[in-house]
Amino acid sequence: MRKAHLLTLVVLAALLVSGASATLARQGAEITLMGWSSSTEENDALMAQVDAFMAANPDITVNVNLVPSFDETIQAAFASGDPPNVFYVDSSKLPDWADAGVLASGEGMIENLDDHYPSLLEAFTYNDTLYCPPKDSSIMALQYNKAMFDAAGIAYPDDTWTWDDLRAAAEALTGETADGQKVLGLVTPPNIERWLPFLYQAGGSVLSEDWTEVTLDSDEAREALDFYVGMVVDGFAGPPSMVDAGWGGEAFAQGRVAMAMEGNWVISYLREQFPDLEWGNAVLPMHPDGGRASMVFTVCYGVAADNDNPDESWQLVNFLTGPDGSAMVAQEGFGVIPPAMSAAETWLEAIGPEIGQAFLDGAEYAHKWQFPVGFQEVFDTFNADLQLAFDEQVLVEDVIINAAGVAEEVLAR
Amino acid sequence: MAQTSALGQRKITSMAAKRRQEAVAGYLFMAPALVIFLIFLIIPIGAAIYLSFTDWNGITPVFDEGSYETIGLDNYRDLLLGEHTEDGRVVKASTRQKDFFIALKNTTYYVLGVVPAQTFLALVLAVIVNQRWLKAKGFFRTAFYFPSITSSVVISIIFMWMFYRGGLVNTTVQGLFPSYDSNAFVNWLDDPRGIIHIILEQFGVKRTTVGDWASARHFGLTVWEWLSGPSVTMLTIMILNTWTTIGTMMVIFLAALQNIPSSVYEAASIDGANAMQIFRRITVPLLRPTTFFVVTLGLIGCFQVFDQIYVISSGGPAKTTLTVAYMVYQNGFDRSAMGLAAATAIILFVIIFAFTLLQRVFVSERANV
Repeated sequence: MRKAHLLTLVVLAALLVSGASATLARQGAEITLMGWSSSTEENDALMAQVDAFMAANPDITVNVNLVPSFDETIQAAFASGDPPNVFYVDSSKLPDWADAGVLASGEGMIENLDDHYPSLLEAFTYNDTLYCPPKDSSIMALQYNKAMFDAAGIAYPDDTWTWDDLRAAAEALTGETADGQKVLGLVTPPNIERWLPFLYQAGGSVLSEDWTEVTLDSDEAREALDFYVGMVVDGFAGPPSMVDAGWGGEAFAQGRVAMAMEGNWVISYLREQFPDLEWGNAVLPMHPDGGRASMVFTVCYGVAADNDNPDESWQLVNFLTGPDGSAMVAQEGFGVIPPAMSAAETWLEAIGPEIGQAFLDGAEYAHKWQFPVGFQEVFDTFNADLQLAFDEQVLVEDVIINAAGVAEEVLAR
Repeated sequence: MAQTSALGQRKITSMAAKRRQEAVAGYLFMAPALVIFLIFLIIPIGAAIYLSFTDWNGITPVFDEGSYETIGLDNYRDLLLGEHTEDGRVVKASTRQKDFFIALKNTTYYVLGVVPAQTFLALVLAVIVNQRWLKAKGFFRTAFYFPSITSSVVISIIFMWMFYRGGLVNTTVQGLFPSYDSNAFVNWLDDPRGIIHIILEQFGVKRTTVGDWASARHFGLTVWEWLSGPSVTMLTIMILNTWTTIGTMMVIFLAALQNIPSSVYEAASIDGANAMQIFRRITVPLLRPTTFFVVTLGLIGCFQVFDQIYVISSGGPAKTTLTVAYMVYQNGFDRSAMGLAAATAIILFVIIFAFTLLQRVFVSERANV
């Protein structure tokens, strides 16, 4: 009896081992791509790109893993020493991850450099090293509700608009809906990234070019913040929560605000969930002295430094961001701008020039959303003070001084 | 003689062997649970204590060379004192200190509000549900317990819908008090004003009318800021959590109540005690150990509140719902400062432990009376 049991165990073990080694002995490399889930269509488009890549490279198998809470999952993957081969990198995370040494350098590994937008390549260059090729980008622009503008008899925003035009329109468009619900002219989220374009338009900045000095405490900053907060205090703008929305796009879609300052992501959101909304898109208004600025939010395909298959990883990344991969995505007409400049025309046609042109125009003077490691502390303090400033409990002066003080501390670390 | 002692010796040996066998069997049975306990509880806690003395960023693999440096008590100094010394120069960390004490303030107000409320209300509900005259006890028990077993994320989202500025709560109040029009609607989820400040304002006491003593700074916050009370949004979350946890506490009280023999109540009513007196003089004292348990459970849970903050407010508005547990998450994941997050967590552990010990001393003293 006992001997029979033993024999069975040995046979089973042998089968298992041979099965396992047979799997391991399969030809070719296997790489993992980890990212976050976008809309179903965008996820499908990514799978189509990956399938096309695998068809052209039969030796390489790509496992795509789109996770719900990406930030926590990828950080745990890094810390455990078992990162995916390729993963999304938001430009705001680049300094943290580059400093931590988990990103492989892209110097000499990225192809088609002249087909990439220079400003985006710059966004993914840290300490003079280019780390990864951009996968898409979103530019901040001004969305406006055509019906509300028509009803109030105001001309649509265009590229001649200045701060004064924005303010005047917001004032004229503030009112109420038919059932007595508050409507604001402009939605102004209490987030620093929505305010930064105004700072840059006024000629100010947060840090010096080389990130060694804090330049936030300036007259330009006071002017820009006075303008932003002033519209809220005077009653024609406000945070999304004031109009029962979770974010600016939702407030705009529900018709509770006439104008919003969102990026390309709002295109898919509005077209899929609010297809009846008649809206238009213009570049952000300029400073009365003519200063123009916007923000660009971009993500790249990063390759892990700790990598079993670096060459295959770079092959995948170059395909996805090269002219072929970009063309596949561009014709689908997703909101985000595809990485290759050569695909811009296709994208513009698919998305519709009257919406898409303002985003492309804004790309010329868009600032990257990227700050030194640990700067989240500055943003949290600024955002908290900004909310209080909307309520007039904190002076604009103090918001800037507090934020500058925290920035000095973070830089000194 | 030799035979008897031989027999006697064999008996003793076999008994000792049996006990040893039983002990081994006992340990073997416990082994899986012990191993899980060790891997998922003891080792991580030890690791957290160790990491709190380092400047690990939470990203670089820990076992890599140079991924972190041990910095001794610097994380703790940053949180409690607002600065530390490095190679002779003073490195300020006033935001870390301020954020920590804001979180401590918020968590304290939260605990002071929720623990008494949930204990008292749970007790009242348990007494009511325990009454003999109540029909459909099963239904009420289920209904009151139901929120405790529902996903906290789902409840948070539903509360968000209800408490939106134009949502159910505001419109219902408007129905009862027509003068509460949409311009006066309270923005429940985004209002950073402290409750105590609002109450004081009704009596004309404002920041500008109190004396200069209110501007004195302690641990990064002025006295006036310390006296703010929970913000309106924090109050909403406190209501949410009280409602959710009453059920669990009620079930515990119910079990204890049903252990009280009815002869005690009969004796009391024969002596001429009315319902209030029975409740105060008999039920509550007999429930003292259970109350201690419920309060301890409540304290531990409340000090660690995270889910609802994460879903509803992410620490806002203006950091008024920032709790110590949420700060641990923020430091660990948003700010690449996992060492600091570990230090924050350890301080939180010490606080909870101190409260529990304090409570135990307090209760056992009174129990001896």
